[in-house]
Amino acid sequence: MVTEDINNKEYDVIIIGGGATGAGTARDCALRGLKVLLVERNDYSTGATGRNHGLMHSGARYAVTDGESASECISENMILRRIARHCVEETDGLFITLPEDDLQYQRTFVDACERAGIRADIIDPDEARAIEPAVNPALIGAVRVPDAAIDPFRLTVANLLDARLHGADTLNYHEVEGMVINQGRVEGVKLFNKLNGSHVEVRGHVVVNAAGIWGQRIAQLAGVNISMFPARGALLIFGHRVNNMVINRCRKPANADILVPDDTVCVIGTTSDRIPIETVDDMRVTREEVDVLLKEGVKIAPSLATTRIIRAYAGVRPLVASDDDPSGRSISRGIVCLDHAQRDGLEGFITITGGKMMTYRLMGEIATNAVCAKLGNTAPCVTASQPLPGSEEGAPSQDDLTKRYSFGQRAAIGRHGSLAARIEKDNDIDNALVCECEGVTVGEIKYAVHQLHVHNLVNLRRRTRVGMGTCQGKLCSCRAASLMGEFRHDVKGAQEDLAAFLDERWKGVRPVAWGDTLREAQLTSTIYEGLCGLDMAVNMQGKEDVQ
Amino acid sequence: MAERMQLCNLSENNFEQCTKCSICTTVCPVAAVTTDYPGPKQAGPDGERYRLKDPAYFDKALKLCLNCKRCEVACPSGVHIADIIQHARMRATEGHRASLRDTMLANTDLLGTMANLVAPVANATLGLSPVKMVMHSMMAIDKHRTFPAYSRQKFTTWFKRHAAQSQDAYSNHVSYFHGCYVNYNFPKLGQDLVKLLNAMGYGVHLLDKEQCCGVALIANGLYKQAKRQARTNIASIRTAVNRDHHMVLTTSSSCTFNMRDEYATMLDIDNSDVRDNITLATRFIYNLVDEGKIKLIFKQDYKRRVAYHTACHMQRMGWQLFSIELLRMIPGLDLIELEQECCGISGTYGFKKENYERSQAIGSALFKSIEQAQVEAVATDCETCKWQIEMSTGLPVENPISILADALDVEATRQANGIK
Amino acid sequence: MRMDTVIMGGGLSGLACGIALAKRGKRVAIVASGQSTLLFNGGSMEMLGYVDGKAVTSPLEAIATLPQSHPYSKIGAERIAALSERVKLLFNDSGVNMTGTANANHWRITPMGVAKPAWLTLNDHLRIDDLNNLPAKRLALMCIRGYFDQPNSMMAMGLRNLGFEVKVIEFTTDDISALRRSPSEMRATNLAKRLVSHSALQRIADQINSLAGDADMVLLPSVFGQSDDSDFQSLQSKVNKPLRLIATLPPAVAGMRIQTQLRHYFRMLGGTYLMGDSAVSGTIEGDQLTSITTAKMNDMPLRADNFVLATGSFVSRGLRADYERIYEPVLDLDVDADADREQWTRFGVLEPQAYMRYGVATDEQFRCRKQGKTINNLYAIGSVLSGHDAVKMGDGTGVSLLTALAVNDLIIAKK
Repeated sequence: MVTEDINNKEYDVIIIGGGATGAGTARDCALRGLKVLLVERNDYSTGATGRNHGLMHSGARYAVTDGESASECISENMILRRIARHCVEETDGLFITLPEDDLQYQRTFVDACERAGIRADIIDPDEARAIEPAVNPALIGAVRVPDAAIDPFRLTVANLLDARLHGADTLNYHEVEGMVINQGRVEGVKLFNKLNGSHVEVRGHVVVNAAGIWGQRIAQLAGVNISMFPARGALLIFGHRVNNMVINRCRKPANADILVPDDTVCVIGTTSDRIPIETVDDMRVTREEVDVLLKEGVKIAPSLATTRIIRAYAGVRPLVASDDDPSGRSISRGIVCLDHAQRDGLEGFITITGGKMMTYRLMGEIATNAVCAKLGNTAPCVTASQPLPGSEEGAPSQDDLTKRYSFGQRAAIGRHGSLAARIEKDNDIDNALVCECEGVTVGEIKYAVHQLHVHNLVNLRRRTRVGMGTCQGKLCSCRAASLMGEFRHDVKGAQEDLAAFLDERWKGVRPVAWGDTLREAQLTSTIYEGLCGLDMAVNMQGKEDVQ
Repeated sequence: MAERMQLCNLSENNFEQCTKCSICTTVCPVAAVTTDYPGPKQAGPDGERYRLKDPAYFDKALKLCLNCKRCEVACPSGVHIADIIQHARMRATEGHRASLRDTMLANTDLLGTMANLVAPVANATLGLSPVKMVMHSMMAIDKHRTFPAYSRQKFTTWFKRHAAQSQDAYSNHVSYFHGCYVNYNFPKLGQDLVKLLNAMGYGVHLLDKEQCCGVALIANGLYKQAKRQARTNIASIRTAVNRDHHMVLTTSSSCTFNMRDEYATMLDIDNSDVRDNITLATRFIYNLVDEGKIKLIFKQDYKRRVAYHTACHMQRMGWQLFSIELLRMIPGLDLIELEQECCGISGTYGFKKENYERSQAIGSALFKSIEQAQVEAVATDCETCKWQIEMSTGLPVENPISILADALDVEATRQANGIK
Repeated sequence: MRMDTVIMGGGLSGLACGIALAKRGKRVAIVASGQSTLLFNGGSMEMLGYVDGKAVTSPLEAIATLPQSHPYSKIGAERIAALSERVKLLFNDSGVNMTGTANANHWRITPMGVAKPAWLTLNDHLRIDDLNNLPAKRLALMCIRGYFDQPNSMMAMGLRNLGFEVKVIEFTTDDISALRRSPSEMRATNLAKRLVSHSALQRIADQINSLAGDADMVLLPSVFGQSDDSDFQSLQSKVNKPLRLIATLPPAVAGMRIQTQLRHYFRMLGGTYLMGDSAVSGTIEGDQLTSITTAKMNDMPLRADNFVLATGSFVSRGLRADYERIYEPVLDLDVDADADREQWTRFGVLEPQAYMRYGVATDEQFRCRKQGKTINNLYAIGSVLSGHDAVKMGDGTGVSLLTALAVNDLIIAKK
């Protein structure tokens, strides 16, 4: 199922973009009985979906400034707890007031939360210190809200899996290079297959642009204009959890004011900088960004000053200028759904953008409603009630987990929910650990390669967490590469992929390469270059864009 | 940029200094003999990241860890791997009751007191086959094990009757933490130390109150009791240090390590003010010789070939050097330094039925090297290593202090140190 | 405690220097903070593998072209020729059986099947003297089932690229598959611990004898012999074809063996090896370092006439980098390193990284400096030295060994 034969196929709807929004739209369309194709130019969730905090907002953050977004968030928050249980960790969150902040704001904040329907309990600073020992002990106020952590990679894959289960075709590494337009109507897309270099044309009655910040380019291909305002945000990943609750600053949103516990790590972010649209593909984190994140981050949790940072990364929020004000001064963080027939006189083309990862499902619903209206489909939306694959009932209980499953199996259940049952575990070799930091077994890798659209190690990482631990792939990437080479019958490719993977890991390590992280990097080089001679074996030219 | 930012990584037990180099896995004696134990890397820093996320990731196999600390000695990154594992066990067993067997094994002093009262009977009974079978099946204490023989007279009793009065005559003074083994099983070691120190011009005194150091209590999860005893001991040591200006000497590497390091790291008891005053007798004596403060004169006719085994906790402290260098001062002693391997007993671990075979498998490399060394006796600073090596090789095992006392020309030494 | 020389660091350079000094009757203590990076060594020593990215044919000739900042330039090409012979003797005396010459590199085969230039290689490990004249035509590559620290297919591909005919044969024995019951612990070193008995080796030999077919050489992953090559010899005696070992991913058995043998020999010579302790500070009086203090003997400084810093690079914590600077942690000695963090690294992971060449600054006699002042009895050797790049130049082990012996000579020559 790695490559579909899409030649001569005709779809009801073609969705461009394999982030959470595209995946959510594909799922919704498929569940309503439409014939769906989703195309993604890189891997799934490589854009803003995979480059945020992994925070499942309660909406509290937006309550004061954007009541509408806040209401959307809390409603989606409650839905995701039901339908995406295996992607969500119910941590709750704190909004803390520090001595330098205005405690008056707390009242404004709580009132706004109440208006948006978000439960916000003011708690005593002592209680805050007790329930979250990592919090800055100097805090003078704290509010508890239903924030949570969510894994966007898993969430996206679960949506895609369900879409496929309901007949959708999904393709990564297929880049849209043109639109098929006929008499004022979009009738399909021209695709470039990056894996084999071929070009193909696919027909669809409606094309949905869900390409995030790259949506401006897609719209241009269709001859219409959307003004995106890329807002870049950088984040830092620490080697392990220091906090078990989300911690926010209780003040107007600013730099580095949220610390989220994500799986085995925690993430501080973000910065916020407007950048030119031409630079949205350069995700290298700068020294200045690292400095800002650290300086502000330690105010939330002082222990961050001495906690090891394993990685830095950045993403770009797809903010849209409102149509009334193309200058970009009034930018909405809300959901924007444009029917280009009404807006630009171009039929069969819809853009869904703005919003946030948190509201991906609602964005999918809105886009699907628009698609269905065009196609005369009247099926109701069920994505708010139907659990995603992996989140159905029947996952083993905590007690079962500790008694009957190995570390790797338990970690896999944490990642794949009930779908972990598909992972082979009946022999010693399938149970052997490839990634020791994150507990990824041979069986899980087999499952990912065969069932989750894995073409390379970076894909594998997004599906399984291989190489996402503190060693950033030092021990496991060679094992994983060698298994991939075996499964995919391409040893040379696997070796090049290994080098590309190490390079991808290094991109995030380099901005924070000091202390034990630099030691770790030196050891990685000693092993892969000194001992193994990987640098002598591969040519790194032109490997970057396959990530 | 804010000051003091990211100048070091300071996680508990240095766990994030781990670079996943896997060197610890090459020295783990348990993982070498069983696949049931996930090895120090998985059990320690790798597992800890998951346990921080959710304590339910605790793996019961962690109880197989010997706490020998060889992983910590090998770690080039300074990660306290064994401490991470022990802390995880501690968190996971909070509120659990230890079994009767574990409680009995752990209470070395209680068992000792009872046994001393009836030493001849206890020695006979604990060694008797039917009794062993009962212990094996009902108490899960392995039938191959013989409890160390109990002495008829406790060390403290001997000391009060035969030594205490004469100690004030010396011009220098130390306190002696004798530990359970010397008190109940082998008073001779304590007597040897008194003999040696007296010949050097040092008077020996007991602490105001001494309880078992608690090393076995910690190993068996009886943390509360261990804490109580640790508090008592540290209070007594504090008195000896502050009131009497004494160093506190021990003759057991395990007691020493426990009181100096584990009290703080495992039991959260602040001993920082007296830690440097607790030391092993061999280290103390070596230091005096090294600084030229005392002289040791040995018998001319002493001849013996002995192998030195570095106990795990001795290696963790890095102090084997002192015992070895002291023994090397004995002209007639032919000393072989054994490769550093675990003997497998690890205190009470090897006494448990479920661990017996593993315990012997772990020790086999050491037993083989002792055999190859062709020696008359083995020297080691740990009493449980002594039991294990004696049981497994049949050779006598002695504390370096006893060997020194045995080889010492007492009169000549006294004279050399100006003592009448 | 008083010694003639105290060496900080118990890896390859520390041990080599310690052995050389102990052989001359010196009282030497080595303070080793844990096991060393030898455990990442696949069984070869490299004097100089690459200059400007090109493989070096003759290290001794190429050394003359190195810049003045390289540690070899401080020793001089002529002396290196003599020292290189003494390195071979040192290994020989320690029981490490290695072959090679500094006049001409041979090729070692990496775990990924890449041929890299090497100076000395363990005799039981595969080495190729001449790529145009391979030591065998048909190879049987024996791969252990379920063992993932040997990328077999990459190895086979690499060997085929070199011109071998390669037959990949997967095998296992009861002893091996029993270890695979552990999800994490099937590592080279754990295999080596289990594959020692006559019967365990016989079971492997039986597999080889029945599966190797018409191969004229049999390759096995390097999982035999942690303390010497007797397990390998025993296995070879049971197999009727020549056997060779190939390096695995770490922790590597070959490096462990070298480390064990050197340490054992050092002890035999009367040296004191303080395992698991590390130097934390020192006392400098005038132009002399008078003593160092270690973590575990905080109240008992180690005094000596001479001190050797062999604490390694960042990996071994001989150098430290923090948010603001790069420094030498024991004595805060002068280092050759860029002050600006941005300069430490480059964007591509396989590009030469500037930090690899950082190290303590020394004079022509490898004496360290603090705030510009030379400390006359403190020498630096091995990876803690600046001016070389073990990864890109293939000079790490060579620098360790040759600077160790050079400094030994300097110390012996004093008074």
